[in-house]
Amino acid sequence: MSEIAVLLFGIVLLGATAWCPPRATRVLGAMLFALTFGAVLRFVLGVPTALACGVLGGFLTYRYFPLLVLRRVLFLVPALVLLIYATTLLMYRAPGNPFANERATTPQVEAALRAQYGVPKSASAFFGIYMRRLLVEGTLGPSIKVQGRTVEELIGPAFPVSVALGSLSLLISVTLGLGLGIVAGLRRNSAVDHLSMLLALLGVSLPNFVLGSAAMIVFSLWFRWLPVAGWGSLRHVVMPAFALALPNAAIIARLSRSGMIDVLQQDYIRTARAKGLPESWVVIRHALRGTLMPVVSFLGPAAAATMTGSFVVEVLFAVPGMGQWFVKGAINRDYSVVLGTAVAYFGLVILFNLIVDLAYAWLDPRLRSTGAHD
Amino acid sequence: MLKSLLSAFLVFAAALLVVGFTLSSSTGQRADFRFTNATEPKTLDPQLATGEPEHRILSAVFEGLARLEGRSLEPVPGVAESWDISGDGKTYTFHLRPNARWSDGHPVTAHDFTYSWRRLQEPSLGSEYAYIMHMVRYAQAYNTHEAQAAALQGAIQTALNELLAKYPGPIPAAEVRAFSSKQNLDAVLKGTPNELLRNFLLRPPGDLPHAVLSALPAQFELEGKRRQALYEEAKRHFGIDGGVYAKDEHTLVVELSAPTPYFLELTTFYPLFPVPRRAIEKSAGRNWFLPDRIVSNGPFRLSQWRVGDHIRLERSASYWGKNEVGLRSVDILPIENATTALNLYLTGEVDWMPEQTVPQDLAPDLRKRPDFFTGPAFIAYYYRINCTRKPFDDVRVRKALNLAIDREQITRDVLRLGQQPAKYVVPPGIHGYKQPESGIRFDVEQAQRLLSEAGFPGGRGFPKFGILYNTAESHKKVAEVVADQLRRNLHVDVAAYNQEWQSYQQSARALDYDLARAGWIGDYEDPNTFLDMWLTNGGNNQTGWGSVIYDRLLAAAADVEQFVAQPEFVLEHAHDAPALQHLAEAARGSADATQRLKHMSELRMALLAEAERILVADQFPIMPMYVYVTSDMVKPDVKGFYTELIGSDGTKRPNLRNIHPLRDLSIERASNESGAR
Repeated sequence: MSEIAVLLFGIVLLGATAWCPPRATRVLGAMLFALTFGAVLRFVLGVPTALACGVLGGFLTYRYFPLLVLRRVLFLVPALVLLIYATTLLMYRAPGNPFANERATTPQVEAALRAQYGVPKSASAFFGIYMRRLLVEGTLGPSIKVQGRTVEELIGPAFPVSVALGSLSLLISVTLGLGLGIVAGLRRNSAVDHLSMLLALLGVSLPNFVLGSAAMIVFSLWFRWLPVAGWGSLRHVVMPAFALALPNAAIIARLSRSGMIDVLQQDYIRTARAKGLPESWVVIRHALRGTLMPVVSFLGPAAAATMTGSFVVEVLFAVPGMGQWFVKGAINRDYSVVLGTAVAYFGLVILFNLIVDLAYAWLDPRLRSTGAHD
Repeated sequence: MLKSLLSAFLVFAAALLVVGFTLSSSTGQRADFRFTNATEPKTLDPQLATGEPEHRILSAVFEGLARLEGRSLEPVPGVAESWDISGDGKTYTFHLRPNARWSDGHPVTAHDFTYSWRRLQEPSLGSEYAYIMHMVRYAQAYNTHEAQAAALQGAIQTALNELLAKYPGPIPAAEVRAFSSKQNLDAVLKGTPNELLRNFLLRPPGDLPHAVLSALPAQFELEGKRRQALYEEAKRHFGIDGGVYAKDEHTLVVELSAPTPYFLELTTFYPLFPVPRRAIEKSAGRNWFLPDRIVSNGPFRLSQWRVGDHIRLERSASYWGKNEVGLRSVDILPIENATTALNLYLTGEVDWMPEQTVPQDLAPDLRKRPDFFTGPAFIAYYYRINCTRKPFDDVRVRKALNLAIDREQITRDVLRLGQQPAKYVVPPGIHGYKQPESGIRFDVEQAQRLLSEAGFPGGRGFPKFGILYNTAESHKKVAEVVADQLRRNLHVDVAAYNQEWQSYQQSARALDYDLARAGWIGDYEDPNTFLDMWLTNGGNNQTGWGSVIYDRLLAAAADVEQFVAQPEFVLEHAHDAPALQHLAEAARGSADATQRLKHMSELRMALLAEAERILVADQFPIMPMYVYVTSDMVKPDVKGFYTELIGSDGTKRPNLRNIHPLRDLSIERASNESGAR
């Protein structure tokens, strides 16, 4: 019960950071930045150097970083800690535990295993052990089901695979989606428009494993152009990337279509046309920016989700990405793996939301905020 | 404009770079032989592994005293080039071959085995398979007695004293049962010579007088001290000069507490493999088996292990029989999706697809292919019945449920892969085991009659109940058909429901179910592996059923000598006592040691059959459904792959455990193309 109280308190505290006055935000944000920076550098540079770098970094941040960033830091560092705590509580509430097995183990064996892996019976105790392992030893913990490996050894090689697959798939979905959507928006209610939207509907309704399986049958089993599954060459990436891309492409097509339609009705487009500019110039130079806004807001979380790997597509195509660790960690109650994947996902979401905010500012000058005002 | 194009181009280039980077660490040449293994192995430490995927790899990378030869799956010389067995069957002397080497060049010695087997029994290692070697002298004491002594002198006494304080008069039977079960007394006190404690274990049902129970704490103390002393003794001797010890560098002596016919086969099983002491001590942690630091003694060595991607084995240059190993390299892919595995096989990317659950809808078509093999497996599929819940505590109800199922329909129409309906607990096919008569068959009239007798004529008044299964499409299909059959044949109200694996296990352990689906893989070719689950309060029992005579029969089979000396209790309660008596007398009377062992072996099998009879003709605590089939798809150019075994005496039997040692495989590629057939 007290664990829930701590959780609620943490959430309240987190919310309170939004009301922090600018001066306090700057100070606290800089301090948190210094601590995190130093903690991370510690494993690369050693304690004294890291401490110095941390202090220096904190000072520079305090002086020069825009308030937006510091507010972010103030929110995000406690948010990460709270995420770990909340996930730990949830994991402990789920029935079962990492040492449950088909063959019943004796209590002595289980106690020995618990001591060895550092998985006590209380969630708060585990949280303490996990944080200490993370900050002091710099490791994400041992995996219980995959013996002899730490979580970073499992997720480490899988992360670039998922990112690679995700980036390629995002590239494909943006290209396809924007292309379809812009054309549809420009030629509204024409045959092209209806066809594009039909394709979009299919892309969003058909699950990605159906698309993936269909592609596998057509391209691997019938035509033998592409390998069935696995990872190791560009030919292996094509089908999974397309399977992941098509649903996103469909959504982007719809978003850019409606964005384009909205923008084309704006005054400044009428002005541009009245000036006698060629239509292509009007579209590319002026209309595109407005069209991209809703797409960009969609892309932030979509990118994070795609890069962390889709379990279904990865299992279908036997791609050694991160999706499997999300599901396997949960099914096996492998606590450290679950936390490791949660932290990785958190990191990606933050990164992409930041990129989205910056992209917004670049696309629409009216949104650019300068730090000096606050 | 230019700037945005440039940044777009940079993003594109960056993406390609990332893709290129991850792909650059790709595999080189295709291995000689590739196969799919259901999941990623959890570990390659032979003493901590427990699954079939691990088994395949461990048997290739390590080698035990004996090994299973591919054609017959009988134990032939491995690290030991010969062995002598004493007349009474209790002492094995293994002569290790002088040219057996570890992959780091050091010779494999008898001390490696004493170290490894002692490590297996080490209580702190927590190996799940430690029990498999408990017939070796001192092993059980070393493995379990310290913890048991501590419990007997501590927690158990405390719990008993609490119980005694709570009930100043007679203690209710249910409380006694709960106490015994929670403290695991049947396991902790097994084999005790203490008269009072044995009487407690064999107590009659009903409430116990206070005096009887209050005499126990003193006995627990005594027994605890006795076990502690036994543990100390075992610690001094086990692996050093008793149980298993090295007479010299190349001679290993093993002392068993009772003759065990399957002991040689046990030495081919991975928990008894030797492990490299130097490597383990150097890495301190549990990752000594990773490719960059593993030291092994088998026909292959582990050269690459990319989690989630593949494992590569290469022929070991330090293996004594390297000229007999046909494959240069092997790739093992942990593919979990059955369809993907099938597709990989059909496009020639893998040469062998073992035991994957074949997509059921494709089963009839696949069965027609010449490269598709099925055979009976040593795996049973059954439903547990919760014998602690009304009305399932009534034998007639349990028998009625068993008789109301048309297993033929399930295997023929739902599973369609050639599975056999089961009417026994032990899958058929064990050499030398004659199954008892079974009361399980499809007989709706008899089932309805039994249900009426139990008080539910025409199913009226029978409470609504559920069939629990762990989430899987195949289990769902079976459960729904079973529910439908029960509804139609017995007019009872039943529904199937599922839970995810861990939740399902918890429900089963907590006896929070009515009927629950279960499966069991036999660990060694002997009926005992399917029968010792059903001991009273056994960890894997999970039905709440127990029977004193059943427990005694299994105990008798484990120590036939003891039974022959004191057969009274068993003979009094056995069904076919005259046959057992006859065999016991034959054993007692034979002068020749070989004859005596043969009779003992027959007597043992008869005792096990007697025990199985209780399950399938008398008490029905479970509902056997069907026997699994092994299914393999293997390319015709793979040689040395046998689905039918030929023993050294010429007898043929199916390859029940689907073991195909990689050492004995080879490839004869007729042409260079890898196409589907």
